[in-house]
Formats: sequence, C-alpha cells, structure tokens
Amino acid sequence: MAALGELLAEVPNQLFLAAALLIVGIVLGVLAGRVNQRLLTRLGVPDAVEGTAFERTMRSFGTSTVAVIANLSAWFIIGVAVLAAVSVAQVSYLQALSARVTSLLPQLFVAVIVFIVGIVVGDKVELLVSERLKGIKLPEVNVLPQIAKYSVVYVAALIALGQVGVQTLALIVLLAAYAFAVVLFAALATKDLVASAAAGVFLLLRQPYGIGDEVRVAGERGVVQEVDLFVTHIETDGEEHVLPNHAVFREGIVLIRE
Amino acid sequence: MTPIEEAVGDFAGDVDALAMFGPSSSEHERFTEAADDSELEAFVVAPENSVSADEFIELPLEFQDIRDRIRFGIEGAMGRGLLDEGDVVVCLVDVFSDDLDAVVRLRVSESLKSGIYGLFVNSRAEPAVIRDVLELVIELGKKGQKGEPVGALFVVGDAGKVMNKSRPLSYNPFEKSHVHVGDSIVTVMLKEFSRLDGAFVISDEGKIVSAYRYLEPSAEGVDIPKGLGTRHMAAAAVTRDTNAICIVLSESDGLVRAFKGAELVLELDPEEY
Repeated sequence: MAALGELLAEVPNQLFLAAALLIVGIVLGVLAGRVNQRLLTRLGVPDAVEGTAFERTMRSFGTSTVAVIANLSAWFIIGVAVLAAVSVAQVSYLQALSARVTSLLPQLFVAVIVFIVGIVVGDKVELLVSERLKGIKLPEVNVLPQIAKYSVVYVAALIALGQVGVQTLALIVLLAAYAFAVVLFAALATKDLVASAAAGVFLLLRQPYGIGDEVRVAGERGVVQEVDLFVTHIETDGEEHVLPNHAVFREGIVLIRE
Repeated sequence: MTPIEEAVGDFAGDVDALAMFGPSSSEHERFTEAADDSELEAFVVAPENSVSADEFIELPLEFQDIRDRIRFGIEGAMGRGLLDEGDVVVCLVDVFSDDLDAVVRLRVSESLKSGIYGLFVNSRAEPAVIRDVLELVIELGKKGQKGEPVGALFVVGDAGKVMNKSRPLSYNPFEKSHVHVGDSIVTVMLKEFSRLDGAFVISDEGKIVSAYRYLEPSAEGVDIPKGLGTRHMAAAAVTRDTNAICIVLSESDGLVRAFKGAELVLELDPEEY
C-alpha cells in the first residue's frame, strides 16, 4: 500500500491533469457526437440526404451521413483533448509537432465538413435536376444532372482546399472561366426566350388582345387561341401559327373589327 | 379439373388479348407471364402505371360504370393498335373489391366504340384539362347550390373560335384573370360558378377564358336524345361548329354529359364519384 503511494507520488502532477483532461475530452466528445446526431436527425437531415450516392455509400459501410458527421465532431473534440493533454503533460518531443497540429486541426475539421456537405448537396442537386428532367425522354439530357453535381462538388472542394491553406488560385481561375462560359452560353441561348417572356408579361397583364379576338400579328391574320408567357397561338383556317411574343411586340398588333 | 373449372375456363379459351383493369403488382406479374406463355397481347388499364406495365392505357377518371371503363380500355387499345376488330379479349376487372374479381369476355367491334377514349385523347384540349373540367363538373353536381341542383355548361378547347362565335351576356368575371381549371383556387370558386348563367369557355391549355357566354350555334341537324333541354342542344351544336368538346351538368336530372362532334359521348352520375 505504502509502495503504491510512493509510486503515485513519483508521477508528476501534470500527468494526472493530462489524464483527467483526456477523460473529460473523450466524454465531452462522445456526448457532443450523440447530441449532434440527435440534432441532425431532428433537423430532418436523414430525409434530406435520402437517396443520394453518398448516403448509399455510407449505408453500404453500415453507417449513415448523419452518423459520419456526428462521429467527426466527436473525434474533433477528442483530438483537441489529446492535444491539450499533450501540452499539459509537457512531453517535450511532442511540443513542436502539437503546435502545428493545433493550428491545423480546426481548419482540417471545417474542410472535411465542407467537403462532405458539398458531396451530399451535389448528390441532392443531381437527384433534383434529374427528377425535373424525367419527363424529357432524351438520352443526352442525362449529362445535365452530372454537370450540376460536379459543379457543386468542385466548389466545395475549392472551399475545403482553401481552408487547409492549399494554393487554389489556378482552380479558381478555372472555375471563373467555367462560370463565365455558362453565363455567356445561357445568355446567348435564352436571349429570345427572355425577350419573349418580357413581352409576354406585358401581354398577359394588359391584354391588348384576348382569346377569340381577330388580329393580324407579324403578317399572320387569324383568331387568337391562346396567349402564354412565351408564345401566342393564332389560328386561321386549318393553320395554327405559334408566334414568339417578342415578335408580336416588335411588329405590333392589328386588331381587326368588322 | 372439375367440370365446373373446365366450363368456366372456356372464358379464357381461344382469345387474342388480355386486359387487366387496375391489377396489383403480383396479379400483374402472374397474368402477364401467363399471357406471354400463351402468346397473347397483354395490357393494363389503370389511373396510373403503378405496376410499370409495358403496354399501359391511362384511365383519366375512375369510371364507376364497368362498361364505361371497359369501353375506354378497349378503345384505347384499338387506338394504339393493340386490338383489331374481331379480336376476342378477356378483361379482368375489379368490381367489388380492389382485387381483380370479374372476368369479362368480349369480341371487339365497332359498336363498342362510344368515343370516350377519343373524347380525352383525340380532342384539341389536353387530356389533363378535360379531366380537370370533368372533375369540376362532378364536384359541382354533387354540391349544387344550397342543396338545390344547378346546371352548368363548359366548352373546352378551341376557345378562340368559340369566343369568336359567341357573345357575352354580361361582363366577363374572368377578364384579365389567369385562372386555370386545375388551380386549387377553382374549387374555392366553385360555389360562385353555379350562380353564373351562360357557358364557361376553357382554352386548350386549361385557362378559364370567360363565363356568361351566350352560344349561338345553329342547331340544325344536331341529333341528341330527345328530352334533353336547350343547354344540351347548345352544347351539342357548338361541338359541331367548332373543334371544342362540351361538358354539361343537367339541372333537371343531375347527370353529367359530354359531347363531341355533336354526339353524346359520355353520361355519368356525379353521385357515384
């Protein structure tokens, strides 16, 4: 008994402190993990990530997205506790290492979280886009959801890399070029559609002509059958002209009254 | 095999096609396999393709009258080229329960065609719009106004021509509004509808173009069952002059009728839905 007491007295006080810190850290970490898991479940995250590729991969490993994120937060706290314990215990050869790790750990944590969220959101975007395009039976259309997914993942990866302090300038330039191309392409492709929609809003609000009126628009004379945001349907004997609304606006409208 | 099994089995003897009306997935699997083995054409008729059948005909409305349902299915199959005149088809139908519990065997003939399928599929207006209007009219027929039966007339499709050939009875309450028949607001407005006189005009894409419309078609040569009133006569006549279809709620007997090409195509009782 006395021998044991002597042995304990030999051990420096810092070690007790370090051990206590470690235990408190582990308990806190596990608790935080549990709380996070509950919180994420309450927030409806499992439903939100349902069906994404990431969730399915996690399922095949016998875990889930929520569990992974909760575990990550637990490990982060435990990691901090270990570092604190090391610094308190003043293990000299670990000191230099722990200083760098301490500064990097939170960033790494945020980077991993951002990356996981990026992948999950990317998967979800892919699902949503492909859902919207389901009605279009065109094989080439399947590329669009993929593009949307990888765009999101790419941005997430950029943010994650930026967090860890990797040089990302070249990647950002690439992203800018890509974004510019998308905007330019969209603007060029939808120029007429946007013009039609703008004219369509006016036509729908003011209704200079309505369904059943006889009109002459852009050289076509007939009875108005339908006016929507983009086009006007005008019907003559056996022919139905579908005119874009911007043409209606540019060329003017002739209302015909007998 | 007992004699009764043999006798009933004759129903399935020497047939060309098998029609399943709303089968469950296990029933669908069983019967499609059987049909494949005996090299029959098999198709499903249901409100939605929940069993992912290869050949599927969408029922726009759960017709309570089994004959209407079968007619629709057969006409649809003929329109798709699955059936030809003279083919013998066995129909499996759910009459009393959700399972298939009745077998109907019939020979496809021109007289089976009542035009129900054409009413939905081959009209100018979109099938979904026609279905929405029909549902609206059924609802109106069920509720009436303060328990009193009401009448209504909806002209669907070819709205330009219909508007051009009719005149307003009063100010159009739907002017500059953009209400479509499928919108949820329409059910709220239902009560108001019954108060309005004249016809409602609905465009191909389902926009409610006008109410209070006085139709002026010439009724010459329109042949509809005797005893139907002026509302039905006007409805039938409009469908002859234009490419529209008409859905009418009768004030006197409370039935919903649909006209296309000046002919009575469909007659149903709103109380059954």
